Amino acid sequence: MTPTQQYRRTWYRKPKKLLTGLDAMVHGGIGCFQRRATAFSRIRKNAEKVDAMAGKWKDLNDHHLRAALLDFRGQFRRGGKSADEVLLPALAAIREASDRQLGLRPFVVQLMGALALNEGNLAEMATGEGKTLTAGVAAVLAGWTKRPVHVITVNDYLVKRDPDWLRALYKFCGVRVGCVTGEMSPDERRQGYNCDVTYATSKEVLADFLRDRIQLGPVQEPARQLILELLNPRAHRRQGVVMRGLHAAIVDEADSVLIDEAVTPLIISAPRENEALKSVVRVANEIAKPLEKGAHYKINVQYREVEVSKAGRELVEENCSDLPGFWKSEDRRMELVRQSLVAREFYQLGKQYIIDNGKIVIVDEFTGRPMPNRSWRQGMHQAIEAKEEIEITDPTETIARLSHQRFFRFYNKLSGMTGTAREAASEFWQIYKLPVISIPTNRPCIRGVQPDHIFSNEEDKWQAIVNEIVAQHATGRPILVGTRSVFASENLAKRLQDKGVSFRLLNAVHHGEEAGIITTAGEPGRITIATNMAGRGTDIKLGRGMAAIGGLHVIATERHESGRVDRQLFGRSARQGDPGSAIAFVSAEDELIKRHLKPFSKSVMNLGLGGGALGKRSLSKWAFKTAQDKAQKMAFKQRKSVLRMDTWMEEALGFTGAQDM
Amino acid sequence: MAQNTQTFSESWYRIANQRISLRLGIKTRRQNFRGERWIVLADPFSNQFYRLRPAAYEFVSRLRPDRTVDDVWKECVERFPDEVPGQESVIQLLSQLYHSNLLQYDLAADSAQLFERYSKRRQRETRARLLQIMFMRFPLLDPDRFLVRTLPYIGKLIGIFGALLWLGVVGMGVKVVLDNFSVLKDQSQSVLAPDNIFLLYAGMIVIKTLHEFGHAYFCRKFGGEVHTMGLMLLIFTPIPYMDATSSWGFRSRWKRVLVGAAGMIVEVFFAAIAALIWARTGEGAVHTLAYNIMFIASVSTLLFNINPLLRFDGYYILSDLLDIPNLHQRSGRHLKHLVEHFAFGVKNSESPARTRREAGLLTFFGIAAGIYRIVVFATILLFVADQFLLVGLIMVVMCLVSWLIVPIGKLIKYLSSSPKLERCRLRANLVVIALAATILVVLQVIPFRNHIRAPGVLEATHWAQVTLEASGDVAEVLAKPGQPVKAGQPLIRLTNHQLELELGRARSQYREIEARIRAAMQLDSANLKPLESSLVAARKRVERFESDLDAMTLRARQDGLWVAPGIENYIGRWVSRGTSLGLLVDPSEFTFTAVVSQDDSDILFKNRIQSAQVRFPGEAGTRVLVKSWNIIPAEQNMLSTPALGWAGGGPIPVDSSDSQGLRTSEPFFRVECDVPIVDQLAMVHGRTGKIRFRIDDEPLLSRWLRRFRQLLQKRYQF
Repeated sequence: MTPTQQYRRTWYRKPKKLLTGLDAMVHGGIGCFQRRATAFSRIRKNAEKVDAMAGKWKDLNDHHLRAALLDFRGQFRRGGKSADEVLLPALAAIREASDRQLGLRPFVVQLMGALALNEGNLAEMATGEGKTLTAGVAAVLAGWTKRPVHVITVNDYLVKRDPDWLRALYKFCGVRVGCVTGEMSPDERRQGYNCDVTYATSKEVLADFLRDRIQLGPVQEPARQLILELLNPRAHRRQGVVMRGLHAAIVDEADSVLIDEAVTPLIISAPRENEALKSVVRVANEIAKPLEKGAHYKINVQYREVEVSKAGRELVEENCSDLPGFWKSEDRRMELVRQSLVAREFYQLGKQYIIDNGKIVIVDEFTGRPMPNRSWRQGMHQAIEAKEEIEITDPTETIARLSHQRFFRFYNKLSGMTGTAREAASEFWQIYKLPVISIPTNRPCIRGVQPDHIFSNEEDKWQAIVNEIVAQHATGRPILVGTRSVFASENLAKRLQDKGVSFRLLNAVHHGEEAGIITTAGEPGRITIATNMAGRGTDIKLGRGMAAIGGLHVIATERHESGRVDRQLFGRSARQGDPGSAIAFVSAEDELIKRHLKPFSKSVMNLGLGGGALGKRSLSKWAFKTAQDKAQKMAFKQRKSVLRMDTWMEEALGFTGAQDM
Repeated sequence: MAQNTQTFSESWYRIANQRISLRLGIKTRRQNFRGERWIVLADPFSNQFYRLRPAAYEFVSRLRPDRTVDDVWKECVERFPDEVPGQESVIQLLSQLYHSNLLQYDLAADSAQLFERYSKRRQRETRARLLQIMFMRFPLLDPDRFLVRTLPYIGKLIGIFGALLWLGVVGMGVKVVLDNFSVLKDQSQSVLAPDNIFLLYAGMIVIKTLHEFGHAYFCRKFGGEVHTMGLMLLIFTPIPYMDATSSWGFRSRWKRVLVGAAGMIVEVFFAAIAALIWARTGEGAVHTLAYNIMFIASVSTLLFNINPLLRFDGYYILSDLLDIPNLHQRSGRHLKHLVEHFAFGVKNSESPARTRREAGLLTFFGIAAGIYRIVVFATILLFVADQFLLVGLIMVVMCLVSWLIVPIGKLIKYLSSSPKLERCRLRANLVVIALAATILVVLQVIPFRNHIRAPGVLEATHWAQVTLEASGDVAEVLAKPGQPVKAGQPLIRLTNHQLELELGRARSQYREIEARIRAAMQLDSANLKPLESSLVAARKRVERFESDLDAMTLRARQDGLWVAPGIENYIGRWVSRGTSLGLLVDPSEFTFTAVVSQDDSDILFKNRIQSAQVRFPGEAGTRVLVKSWNIIPAEQNMLSTPALGWAGGGPIPVDSSDSQGLRTSEPFFRVECDVPIVDQLAMVHGRTGKIRFRIDDEPLLSRWLRRFRQLLQKRYQF
């Protein structure tokens, strides 16, 4: 390996400081300018030009087409001006290759998407518009440069499926494609990353990056590493490194990767003995036991916090004699007790976690999938174990940590695709410098979204949902019911069982099967209950004759913190010009309302629920909108605090050297 | 507190395996503040200080390059289980130490980051300098070596001998000052005269240099290093300064207090010497310079140095005496806490005060210092604006920016995005808006009682001057002054010997001519004619002298009160004809003539006056309600009595070139008011007083705006 190659292997772009104050305002203004129509019309014009070139490539035989593609590859590899000049003909050639190898001919809108990606934009494409192929075309263009290209998708199933599906195209275009999934060994990973184009989830890429950093040790800077190696050839630590640098990334479902997941940074941790903590959680649990809600403490649902009153403090003081010295002081012991109370109030068996083989297994709230290797932060996990009275495990200790916001700014060329980007356009621009370009749909969407049904309590809501399912089922249409948690999906399943309706329940199974179930959810008379994120990225194909009777009917059983997630669920129906309908059932006792609505707004909503039909609708609509706005704001703040934490760390702990760990 | 400092931190991994320690050469000292133990880390190179609680120091002191932070922390957990700081606190502590350049770490730091930190610090300093435009500092040289070399000689003075010497000299100085107090006071009027400004400034440079050396020597004597000496632009006036902040590291608080007071001690000492010199020299440069030194030393000590409300010596002394370091910042934080806690409802807001007494002190100090600061700066601003228009305007703009716009911007930012207000932002915003609205309503809408005040003089409506019609020695005062007299009553008797002699001569001449006429009638009648005319002339002379002699008794021309202040002094003295010896005043009717500034003229002529009251100094309780008033609608610039003008000790500025002290420096309007007789009040002709016109109620804001416009108009002719 040449020194340059070595250098490149661990090099990444140092992100610029995020702007603040006036600079940020000016920058925001530039973002607005970038999103304006001219960029869009230029892309459209170019896509049409590519479309017009189709004839020339159609007549070429495979051999010549391939030769032409390899020629383009060379030009892209050399880069510079020549690559820009041949971009449009190259795209037309790839389109032709796709037609021949996959039997799929990218539409003009998909070409637009590919162009937008190639320019480093965030392409907003409606669900079911063929984002996978769009990403594939753009990845071929990027892969030709031989610089590392990462295609980021949302789950391991898609990571494996997408390259397999597009492999023929990649091969024909002379691009090596690989993937990295959770269960792979370091060597397999290295192979995956060594390909021109690598498919992976954001989690894996981040984790691999961090592991590489840990591998590299305290000297992170490529130049310094090289010098170190020159001085001491045996000292080089790049053996275990799996990645080959960061250059370009195409992020599918960019909103969930770059925004929703960015709320929590990725943390690599390892269990580590911590007797000080382990010995004490059980005692803390005992001390917290006699405390009663209301009398001794108050809970704050919105912030998931517990506030211990004076009476509670006194009670704790009486009972704290069993605590070891380290925990005796007022602040420390209250920290423990508070943790126990939070474990009691906000972490529920079956909702946030399950117990498997005497161990706590975290359940992903969005997908309902158990996450066996995850744990909550130090102390919290143990507090929950103490609550469930199972064996206390060693707490995990952070070894490295990196936020999504920071990581994705390391890429030289970041681009992304999503169905729902508008709401977060300014955030995409401010943090990732991604201008949003809206790509029109190929065929107009004919989804019938019915107004929300609103109930004052949950019982009524579930009753109505069951009735709706039964009624729709009678027409023979396929139905997809989205629930927010595993708990809710099981509850609904029980109700349907009582009614004697047959259905398929999707929770806590693997991606592969999940996708299988989802793919067949369009069959006649099929009822599928799934958590909202299940089988994301998979098309629901309508069964024969289903389009005629109205297509897939989607029922949302709750609204989410983010309107984007709601729209993604609705987007499961009426894809690619098919018919379809969607409806949401909500109640005043939903989590969203409970957590994010102030008492005043709640009473306004209850007033609305008691009133006539019109008032009911508009008032509760307002209430849900307010709650969602609140939730969004809070999430935004969390993301901001993650960022602030990043900056603070960088500034405050400069003496620790390695910054991005 | 407990909520934001968790025992275990997720960022611990960043420092857990670091091998760091305090830098070599960092000095540590113990200090006690309000009975609490603190450890002060001092960096002798940069003269920076960092204070630690003993528990934190126990941790920091154990850091060694051969052990990781994690090891040390664990050891501390075992040794001091109840005091050891949590992981999060440790991270914060280390980061602060790193930023104070107190840490030593073996890894080469990110040099780009070091540069960035440096340039950031420079930026901050420049910004601070611009915002502190009235106290800009320019460090110039390092006096430490000079101080060390001269300390053996001068340092001897710092001790018992010096204290006794000081007491002696200052005692003598005080005595001299007390003895000559009136002269001193008189001379103070000319201290700001243009021809004295240079000497004043020279005196200031001398005394302030001595002042700073006082700080420096005391500090050096107690072992502190003094490395910076430079120029400070105090309100654009260059004066020297020295940086004796290394005294903050002294363990004994009395030493810190002494270093703080050293400047003033020296200043007072030299002021006393100057007083002695001043008292023993006649008019001349030395005399004036000595006087100026005295003046500066006393005024600047009283107004600035000793006053703890501004951040000069007095502040640091007070801060040490109270044992509250960073008094200013802490009182600011405490006030902020009060607002956050009580007005905004921030539950976890904490006061920096540890005891109730400290809280009270901080509250009081914060408010008092705030008010005093505003007053002092406003005065300075007006003064500078008055002297130099352009500089003044620039300063006004800068001060507006730094004291009004920047704080308001900060307030808005704080209200909109401070994480502290996370849960009560609405309330905080409402409170601020309500407060602003209340202030605005009070100022703009609610009318307040409104007055204009003007000085004036009380005069009897009818009065006459008693003027001598002949010259002579005052022999006797016939009517007692202060008594009512009737017309024709004799008031004063004069004697004039010459006049009597002249009369005698005239009479003899008359008789002689008479005799000659008789002789002529017998002898020759031709001479008779001229003699007869001589006789007429002689008779006339006799008559004239006789009437003159008669006028020796001065009589009242009219009824009235005989007012003759100081008439006793005239007895036996020669007074020439035409001299006024007193007044005859008609005590039944009085007029108060008010001198109204032209600023208030619009009020005068818009008929907005509702009522008027006259008050006299010394009789504050008695107010005389004026029945009617008459505004003379013409600008005037001559006072009716010098008592109203500056020259006569009155409130109205007069032209200094007018020897009579009657011409005012700006025109005024006269208002004549009829004053009823009030029994309790001594209605004395010529008594000065004040009149207060009650005018229509008006909101404060419009009133202030009008005043402001007038100010601009008057001063800058806008």
